[in-house]
Amino acid sequence: MDFNDILQTALTFFFIANPIGNSPAIIAVIKDFPFNRQKKIMIRESVLALILALFFQFFGKIFLDLLNLQNYTVTLCGGILLFLVAIDMIFPPNPVQAKKGVSREPFLVPIATPLLAGPALLTVIMLYTQQQAPLVISLGILIAWVGVTLVLILAPYLQKILGKRGLIALEQLMGLVVSMIAMQMIVKGLGQFVNPT
Amino acid sequence: MSLLSISLVLFLIMDPIGNISPYIAMTRKLSPNRHKIVIIREMLIALIVMIIFNYLGETIFNVLEISETAVKLSSGVILFLFAVRILFPTLRSPRANLPEEEPFIIPLAIPLIAGPSLLATIMLFAHMESSQEIMLAAIFIAWLAAVVVLFFAPQLQRLLSDNGLMALERLMGMVLVLLAIQRFMEGVQQFIATYV
Repeated sequence: MDFNDILQTALTFFFIANPIGNSPAIIAVIKDFPFNRQKKIMIRESVLALILALFFQFFGKIFLDLLNLQNYTVTLCGGILLFLVAIDMIFPPNPVQAKKGVSREPFLVPIATPLLAGPALLTVIMLYTQQQAPLVISLGILIAWVGVTLVLILAPYLQKILGKRGLIALEQLMGLVVSMIAMQMIVKGLGQFVNPT
Repeated sequence: MSLLSISLVLFLIMDPIGNISPYIAMTRKLSPNRHKIVIIREMLIALIVMIIFNYLGETIFNVLEISETAVKLSSGVILFLFAVRILFPTLRSPRANLPEEEPFIIPLAIPLIAGPSLLATIMLFAHMESSQEIMLAAIFIAWLAAVVVLFFAPQLQRLLSDNGLMALERLMGMVLVLLAIQRFMEGVQQFIATYV
């Protein structure tokens, strides 16, 4: 076991989870909650993402095989769910429904998955399990997770800079970006479906 | 498909974990003993419906002249829409509009446990799996597991707390979306193999 391996794995996971690039989108999703609540949501979601990542490291292959799920399905699923989120961001649901007590608090979807522990990350983790020692990957995931969580805890401060109007603009803009990320996943999934190599 | 896969898929689509909160909400006013009787009665009805569909499936295929491809595509879409409602709850989801009185057949047995997606899945598996014994065993195993989960629903809710339960519910929703997309894409694959 080499420390360099661990660091390299951690860096790869960190960049694929892409907390810095995802922060604006995540803020746009949780902009309606009070500041303290946002921090709690962030921590909860990052813990959920960690659990998902570790689960896929150890049981990903078995889980997918048992349910006869192909890799393209995982990619397509991430893309489609993310696209639904993007539609919600670009065309916000009417406020009457939001008031009627249906909790719209993001839970697991879309922050923990597919934004942080998305199909790309989960697939890469499963790929790494064939090449690296389990301990290296687990440590890599943990180190990457610490980095991701730090970024996420700092992210809510970004909205103080942006202000209310800025946030509304950000939501629209990020909806566009998220829809494109989503479509990229769908295209990739379809590619894997058509040409499985 | 192996017995384990079939029963796991059926168990996931029955989604007993996601049904814990509606079950508890509906049986809140009943005494604990009555609660258990209601669960067993509703689950037995659901089991009967499942077994009927297991045998009826082939007839439906033949009488309506429906191909396996069509069933895969339609059940994929329905399962997908159903699972999306779990992930993004709305007022129109079946779980948000429960009547207040004691449940009888509707909505606990049908559609919360034996819903359209489960029945379509059973039809499909019964069509694909040549051995009836495996199908019946799989249905029974999945059903038994669901009964156990619902029987201990109040204890599970206390153990997991509302947040833990919600996380599990969402996770099941994710798995259902995966199953739905896989089913749909298999339909597409079959379509390509047949017509293109």
